[in-house]
Amino acid sequence: MPMPHDAEHRPSSTLESGLLALLFAGLAIGGVWYGAGISLPELASRHGAGIDAMLNYLLLTVGAIFLVGYCVLAWLIWQGARRSIIVSRLATRRTELLLSTALGLGMALIAEGGVLAIGMPVWAEYFGSPPSNDVVTIDVTAQQFMWNVRYPGPDGVLGRTNPTLIDDSSNPVGVDRSDPASKDDLFFQNEFTVPVNRPVKVRLHARDVIHSFFLPHFRVKQDAVPGMTPEVVFVPTRTGSYELLCAELCGLAHYRMRATFSVVTQQEYDAWLDREQQSQGSQP
Amino acid sequence: MSATAPVMVRTESEHGDHALEFGVLRRYVFSTDHKIIGIQYILTGLVMALVGASLAALIRLQLGWPERQWTFLSQLFPKGMPGGVMTPEFYLAVVTMHGTIMVFFFISYVLVSGFGNYLVPLQVGARDMAFPFLNMLSYWVAFLAAVVMVVSFFVEGGAAASGWTAYPPLSAVAAAIPGSQMGQTLWLLSMAFFIASFTMSGLNIVATVFSLRAPGMSLWRLPLTVWSYFIAAIIGLLAFPPLTAGAVMLLLDRHAGTSFFLPAGLVIGNQLLPNQGGSPLLWQHLFWFLGHPEVYVLILPALGVTCDILPAFTRKPVFGYRWSVWALVAVGVLSMIVWGHHMFVSGMSPFTGEYFSIATLTITVPMTIFGVNMMASLWGGALRMRTPMLFACGVLALFGSGGLGGLFLGNATADMQLHDTYFVVGHFHMMIGGVTLFGTFAAIYFWFPKMFGKVMSEGLGKAHFWLSFAPFFIIFFVQHFVGIEGAPRRYYSFTNYDFLQNTRGENLLISWMAMLLITAQFIFLFNFVKSLFAGRPATANPWEATTLEWTTSSPPPHGNFGAAIPNVTRWAYEYGVTDVNADFAAQSVPSSRVPVTA
Amino acid sequence: MQTATFSNQDELQRADVLRLGLWMFLSTVAMLFAAFASAYLVRRASSDWAQVELPSTFGLNTLVLSAASAVLEAARGWGMTRRWRASSAGLGGAVGLTIGFLGGQVVAWQQLMSQGIFLPDTPHASFLYVLTGAHGVHVAAALLLLTVTTVRTWTGLGRRRFARWAVLMDTTRTFCHFLLAVWLGVLFLLSNY
Repeated sequence: MPMPHDAEHRPSSTLESGLLALLFAGLAIGGVWYGAGISLPELASRHGAGIDAMLNYLLLTVGAIFLVGYCVLAWLIWQGARRSIIVSRLATRRTELLLSTALGLGMALIAEGGVLAIGMPVWAEYFGSPPSNDVVTIDVTAQQFMWNVRYPGPDGVLGRTNPTLIDDSSNPVGVDRSDPASKDDLFFQNEFTVPVNRPVKVRLHARDVIHSFFLPHFRVKQDAVPGMTPEVVFVPTRTGSYELLCAELCGLAHYRMRATFSVVTQQEYDAWLDREQQSQGSQP
Repeated sequence: MSATAPVMVRTESEHGDHALEFGVLRRYVFSTDHKIIGIQYILTGLVMALVGASLAALIRLQLGWPERQWTFLSQLFPKGMPGGVMTPEFYLAVVTMHGTIMVFFFISYVLVSGFGNYLVPLQVGARDMAFPFLNMLSYWVAFLAAVVMVVSFFVEGGAAASGWTAYPPLSAVAAAIPGSQMGQTLWLLSMAFFIASFTMSGLNIVATVFSLRAPGMSLWRLPLTVWSYFIAAIIGLLAFPPLTAGAVMLLLDRHAGTSFFLPAGLVIGNQLLPNQGGSPLLWQHLFWFLGHPEVYVLILPALGVTCDILPAFTRKPVFGYRWSVWALVAVGVLSMIVWGHHMFVSGMSPFTGEYFSIATLTITVPMTIFGVNMMASLWGGALRMRTPMLFACGVLALFGSGGLGGLFLGNATADMQLHDTYFVVGHFHMMIGGVTLFGTFAAIYFWFPKMFGKVMSEGLGKAHFWLSFAPFFIIFFVQHFVGIEGAPRRYYSFTNYDFLQNTRGENLLISWMAMLLITAQFIFLFNFVKSLFAGRPATANPWEATTLEWTTSSPPPHGNFGAAIPNVTRWAYEYGVTDVNADFAAQSVPSSRVPVTA
Repeated sequence: MQTATFSNQDELQRADVLRLGLWMFLSTVAMLFAAFASAYLVRRASSDWAQVELPSTFGLNTLVLSAASAVLEAARGWGMTRRWRASSAGLGGAVGLTIGFLGGQVVAWQQLMSQGIFLPDTPHASFLYVLTGAHGVHVAAALLLLTVTTVRTWTGLGRRRFARWAVLMDTTRTFCHFLLAVWLGVLFLLSNY
């Protein structure tokens, strides 16, 4: 059946296109309004400021492009449906070149520019910062479904581990008790305590499947991979009690592999260390 | 001169005579006719979509109302939802299978294999695909793959539950999660069949486009649809084998005691496993080497068909045709060298991460060019607001918003915070669930008259659009921000985390919108089935479009073009031309001008 | 304008299509072995590698497969000069030698197993079995094609429709030579890395 001549279609076409234009423009404006009210978890680390800068740069630029783009689309639809004859068939080669390349390169500038100017420096610093001697080292072994946390104790050395020694009830990490260095190690499950404004180095192990160490407030995320020992280093800058999540599907209880990450003052930390050393130090 | 070549009435071509001798089995079940095979893929994909959508409903039921008891569901899923509350193991199997089925068994079957098979020979002016028997085989292997995947729900331990990404050791050790028992093995076998089927389809598409074009159909006269399928097929042919290799190795790790992906010291199910030396990261590299190009295999056809649908409703050629072709080629090449952006926090070297970040963001260039060209195709047009046009505009909109999310995730620094959160879920759903889905709908509404000789209801089609777009957009736009707020993906519930409590409202909104969205799809299904049986007869060219399939009857006869293959004299976008007495000319309408293309 | 035959592809176009299809398929197969090879090289870096000594049968099998390719080439040459009996005989020889190769691979596997080297034992062994196994599967497919070509040559396809025979022969021989090249690559990888 032949399509109705466009003139007959005019009123509903205009109404429909108007509604479509309104839909796109409305969703864009609503979306930006909604998005502007959403914030990242409260920042609590030093390098996190760089990550936030990267994210905010992207939110702003992308948000603007999104809004403008949708409004242009809305306008094109609104304009187009009110016409019954096209304006011109083909754009000139020059127009095609200009529009395509200008906008394409512009987008690349925004994307690559952002990564090269803001992103990579943050990335390089995060991974490449030299070790400082006031770092607090914590050894973490992720397992289904908890976080095993070990501190090296006053001797600064962690006891050896051996997977053959693993016993879920008494020795989940397989510490070799015959190693003298393990005598003063402190052991926790699902809780961390660190002093504020000092670098924390977390050495990650995984006992069974891939997990991921995710501290949203600190902008820290690193997969814990069996067979590897990745490390993360970061500096907490705010005291408080924060939540640790697992960010790589690891099984049934992936959704409740929660730990508390407490950042306290140096004094509180020292006091806590003493307490723990006394209560745990007497381990055989 | 008339606007279209004389409509081809069903003629008794030589092969047509033979076709009439075939029984029902040879004509409709084991047909080697690309049109029948295409329709078989589409119908199978639509059935799988129902499964995938049901799984989506279950996910949103759990996330919107985490503690609610759904007693009627406990009868349907006695093991998975005892007492009406979903178990975490069931949830993870649902999540895994939703992703797997939607990506491979819905979109790939309907859009890539289905429409690819249907349209490519018609649009290049061939009578069939290059290898019709192989084509028929590809469908039946695909069918087998779908059956195996569905069967995996019913084995002990249930369906695979390690995510569509199937990372070992979770997917390699049966004790790690119930789905990693036989369910995961069947998943891997199903994927092996799928890849075999896709390879056969891909070979056909490439060979047909290269060698079976009608006289006069130069490469620069091809519709963008054909270009997009051509490049998607090449990408697929080169990208799938590493996943095949990975799947073989994972099957061996699971059943033959090898250690391709399993390192030493694994303690699972209270047992120290004997493996040693394997690398879980190796799987990730192999998987994503396919996984990333795969999304372009899905999205390129959606973009291509949109570029052919838009002009029919703007009555002017697509903007920047040659640039768009080069953009497709560029995306094809770039897509194969950026897979590491899925692995920024995986333990991969940070230097490698830097490379992948910078490389990934170069994809913004061709994709922006392509997107701008699509949008500029509306510029100065005389729009006809019909159902396919509405969905095509939806593709445009979602490509823009979804694509912009890519700037965040390709950026390694930003990705540190966003990896494995709902930002990723929002992004890929907008692209794969949005661009490809709306592209699929646009294609169905556009080509349904041609395929079945019947017209779909315009009113129901529009209702389908209006009830789908806003809910879809809201769901996945909001999910980006739920991710920014810190909510990880694949979580059974967020109730264990204080800082995530304010996402309850958003999750509830998303779930309501999801129920609305899923319900709206029944309008489409009803329209589809009703029109199939009781739709008004369609003419050869109801949309007044220019590509070759519109020059033959609806549906086309066996052999596509009757007695004579068309002789192509024009580009694919001869809208607004002045040398004929209509505002368009089909590609085979003789031209008195010097041969033209853009 | 084209005639009313449904199959309007003349032999030349058909040859082009098949050749293109075959090369696309071969690029897919190449990617498969490239994937295994890169996995091999990655895994090689692990401390538990333990190189296995390759059974000497592999060397013998290489000769057998090379001979198959050589005889296949000869069969093609004879066919091109219309010497059908010689060609059929050559093809039959190639079939026999290919079966010999596959049999020899099985023997090599058995030799390894009798030494106590099984699939899961060391990564080198795992890859050895996987690579030779994957290659063997493809050779089995080639054998099927080779058998079809042999039968069709013997039943006179070349006499009746020479162009069609030539296309079939070319497809078969390209596939077989390609698999020989893959085998040489696999052997090189397994021996030297």
